[in-house]
Amino acid sequence: MEQVIANGLYLGAQYALIALGLTLIFALMNVLNFAHGQMYVLGGFITYTVYGQLGLPFVVALLASGVTLAVIGALMEKFLFRTVIRRSHREESTMLLAAATAFFFDAVILLLFGEKQRGVPKIVKGVFNDAGIIMPYDRLVVGALAIVFIAAFVLYMQYSRVGRAMRALAQDRVAAQLMGVRVDRYSMIGFAMGAMLAGVVGGLLVTITGVNSGIGGPISIKAFLMVMIGGAGVVGGAIAGGFILGMMESVGLTVLREYGDVTYLVIFAALMVFLSVRPNGLMGKPWG
Amino acid sequence: MINRRSTLKSMALGAVSTLAIAAVGISYAQAENKELKIGFVGVTSGPAAAWGTSNVRSMQTRAAWINETGGVKIGNDTYNVDIVTFDDQKDPKRAIAGMEKMAQEGVHYVVGPNVDDGAAAVRPVAEANGIIYFPYAFPKALYQKPASNAVLGMIANYQSGPAIYKYLKENKGVKKIAFVAANESDPLSQRDGGVEAAKALGLEIVAQNDTYQNDTRDFTPVLTPIVALKPDLLVLSGVAPANAPLLIRAARELGYEGLISTETAQDAKVLEEGAGEYANGFISVGGASTPEIASDTMKEFVTRYTKMFGEYNDESNTKVYALEYILDTLKANPAAINDVAEFKKTMDTFSAPNPFLKGDAKLGYVGTTSFGQKRQLSVPMVVNEYKDGAFQTLFVGSVD
Amino acid sequence: MTLSRNIKIAAVVVFLAIVFIAVPAVISASGRFDLYYTLTSVALLSIASAGVWLTFYIGRINIGQGAYALMGGYVSAILVMNHGWSFWLTLPVAGLFCAAASVLIGLPILRLRGVYFAMVTLVLTEVARLLALALPITNGAKGIVSIPLPGALSVFGITLIPDFATLQNSRLAFYLLAVTLMVACFAVMYRLVNSRIGKLCQSLQQNEELASSIGVNIAYLRVIAYAVSSFFGGVSGAIFAAISQSIYPSSFTVTDSVNFMLNCFLGGLGYVFGPMLGTLVLYFGWDLLFQTGQFQLLIYSGLMIVLMLVLPNGLLSLAEMTRKKG
Repeated sequence: MEQVIANGLYLGAQYALIALGLTLIFALMNVLNFAHGQMYVLGGFITYTVYGQLGLPFVVALLASGVTLAVIGALMEKFLFRTVIRRSHREESTMLLAAATAFFFDAVILLLFGEKQRGVPKIVKGVFNDAGIIMPYDRLVVGALAIVFIAAFVLYMQYSRVGRAMRALAQDRVAAQLMGVRVDRYSMIGFAMGAMLAGVVGGLLVTITGVNSGIGGPISIKAFLMVMIGGAGVVGGAIAGGFILGMMESVGLTVLREYGDVTYLVIFAALMVFLSVRPNGLMGKPWG
Repeated sequence: MINRRSTLKSMALGAVSTLAIAAVGISYAQAENKELKIGFVGVTSGPAAAWGTSNVRSMQTRAAWINETGGVKIGNDTYNVDIVTFDDQKDPKRAIAGMEKMAQEGVHYVVGPNVDDGAAAVRPVAEANGIIYFPYAFPKALYQKPASNAVLGMIANYQSGPAIYKYLKENKGVKKIAFVAANESDPLSQRDGGVEAAKALGLEIVAQNDTYQNDTRDFTPVLTPIVALKPDLLVLSGVAPANAPLLIRAARELGYEGLISTETAQDAKVLEEGAGEYANGFISVGGASTPEIASDTMKEFVTRYTKMFGEYNDESNTKVYALEYILDTLKANPAAINDVAEFKKTMDTFSAPNPFLKGDAKLGYVGTTSFGQKRQLSVPMVVNEYKDGAFQTLFVGSVD
Repeated sequence: MTLSRNIKIAAVVVFLAIVFIAVPAVISASGRFDLYYTLTSVALLSIASAGVWLTFYIGRINIGQGAYALMGGYVSAILVMNHGWSFWLTLPVAGLFCAAASVLIGLPILRLRGVYFAMVTLVLTEVARLLALALPITNGAKGIVSIPLPGALSVFGITLIPDFATLQNSRLAFYLLAVTLMVACFAVMYRLVNSRIGKLCQSLQQNEELASSIGVNIAYLRVIAYAVSSFFGGVSGAIFAAISQSIYPSSFTVTDSVNFMLNCFLGGLGYVFGPMLGTLVLYFGWDLLFQTGQFQLLIYSGLMIVLMLVLPNGLLSLAEMTRKKG
């Protein structure tokens, strides 16, 4: 059982980090970014190229992933989402744009990096094995890094000037604008940060699970689930959602395995029931 | 408004010029010889892109090679081979559209689809339009009467599975076996077949209900309870090449010491990058490229493939055969070129040398035992073991 | 709604003439018989998309239509295979079954809004797939295969529809069936949207609390709209099962659910006929780009982005824009 909980915690940390970027973009712009998973994949491939192929230090690779994705995110906001949001009658219309960019990224990634699963050399070798818990060291490192990133992000949002402006924006766009927050600028920064988070976590996880060009869509969907569990557009919610989903999978796969192929059926059905009871997730802002 | 109009205009221009380029490309190939169109309907985008891509590329490589060396002589005419491809996005509804497209293009021989549901969905179209197709899907209903237009392109799991388990039982002392599969049609069907085979061999099945979502990236939670049961053999039923190294690595890191095997084809490079030395000893089904058995033709095929697409994919080893079979059968009976009834007649007696294997191996149609009619390509059942970045042949079997 | 009544009738007549007479004539003249299936698909997918549009109309983003299409396919396939029913009888039954199921599912989840409803319906699609894998009646992973083609339909000894298996060209028959249903479906939609209920639904889209406070029974309206939507999904799924003569748990997946939604966006959420046009463009667009090989997805998605930038309110907003300008 210790092992199951350890698995769940590790999975939760990595899920929470994936969900953070998605929820940030949603909070600021009410955009459900279907391309989040593709950004993650792109970040993974950049780290794969820089660290795995060119042999540069892992930190450099991670930085390259983050910076590239931040630039892409900023451009996407400025030239695509801003235009469409301004001109469309219903803000859900951005979902089509997001889906189209997701397909576009899929196509580009497939053309650039091919159809194969890719992986990089381990960053740390060896396996921790004590007190009934088995955990490879590289997972421990990645898990710890994930928690550091999450903490840094929360602190940044809480105390920095940019973070405060973005929180104001998320709470009430119009009021923030009246108070002199430059909405366009912070939307762009927020989108860039969300994309950067996706890129960094992609780069981080390529050391454990590798990356391939087709997983973007499924990752996006998984990230949506976590965000919904915790409550859309709330940083705390994304973190909670990530850990809850991680724990549910880990425990569910162990406890329900005797009953046949129903583990995920139960997890998803439970999720539907949960959302019916709590229509805004754990701590989400009400919609409408 | 001007802006918008010019955008639309340039879009239209772009589309037209792309089509023009495509059209020029096709007419260029037509220059001298007659043209023989062979179709491909399968998945070349999305999460399962690797299956179809390795498939279509092996066809394109072979076709380019044949055309470069003057084409293929069938009857009195010499043909250039043109591969017509359709990406079905792993959607059975699209696969039907693809098969319709093939019928429209006058194609009578199609390789694919790559999955069970697609292969079942295209059957009505193929039978109505006189198309023989070569799916990489295992359901027996596709190949048994009254179905008659599908020919299984590789060794099915219910043929290789029993052979592998038997070999491991006798040579490696395997007694306890565990299965894990993705919760999708193809892997689950393969798992059920594997469980049956293991039962028949008298192996103790310690786990058979464990499933995972195909988008799983971290397999530790899935494997934790299975590893605790200490099986001697862990079977990754119908595992996607992308997931295989992740499963292997997770199992080994959890301290699993038994054997791991699968009945699908894998890629050595993917295993090396994803699992490193943990993948040593991993058993999978291969085709023809291991050094022990590959002929010079096969070696040249690999070289040409690598040159054409930058990197070889070992999954293609099991997929070089379909095109070769189509062409060789047509050579044996030129009347079949536009008439699949003739092709079916020839299938019962067809025999030709296998160019990809050393020695005097033969190409021929089999499947009588499994399907009651000859609706399977006879390809060698090569069982491989992964070792330090390459596959080694463990044993070679055959199917009748 | 500025068109006069006569113009509207003329437009309908022209449309019917195109789909029932001109299209088959052009296809047989040009020999492009593969277009029958493509257009059949467009018609069926646009029926399912119409359902999604209807849920948009009550202000809900529905990414769960794949679940009902799958359900409808299985209901029809199981009734035909296990109980020997005629396909023609299973068609409405499949729709009604889905409508009934959607009432049960809809009652709790229709209280959700925005992305939450979107997400929960997306999960529903996955639940439907996993149920199809796990339930004994669906034959699990092996799917249901070798389903016979639709048989003859006769009433009082008069054959209304011949046995599809005896037809020379079952593709044409499926095409006619699909477009007939599509016309019926959009007629119902048009009627619904322009009725009193339609106006009430529109009020839900804007402000549910306000609608509720002036005495609109919002829960009832939502469930009705969702049930109609699911009925459409079920019918289209049942016909797909008949065409492919097989159904698998993966016959309709999350990708399909997402595509149904995208069809509505592309056509335009403000226009009843939006889903039809959106489906035509998205589905046909992919097929037309068939020549471009490995760049197919790149060009396809690139064009989609451009379209979205130019016409963020859907293709049909083009007509409105020109009208405003003129």
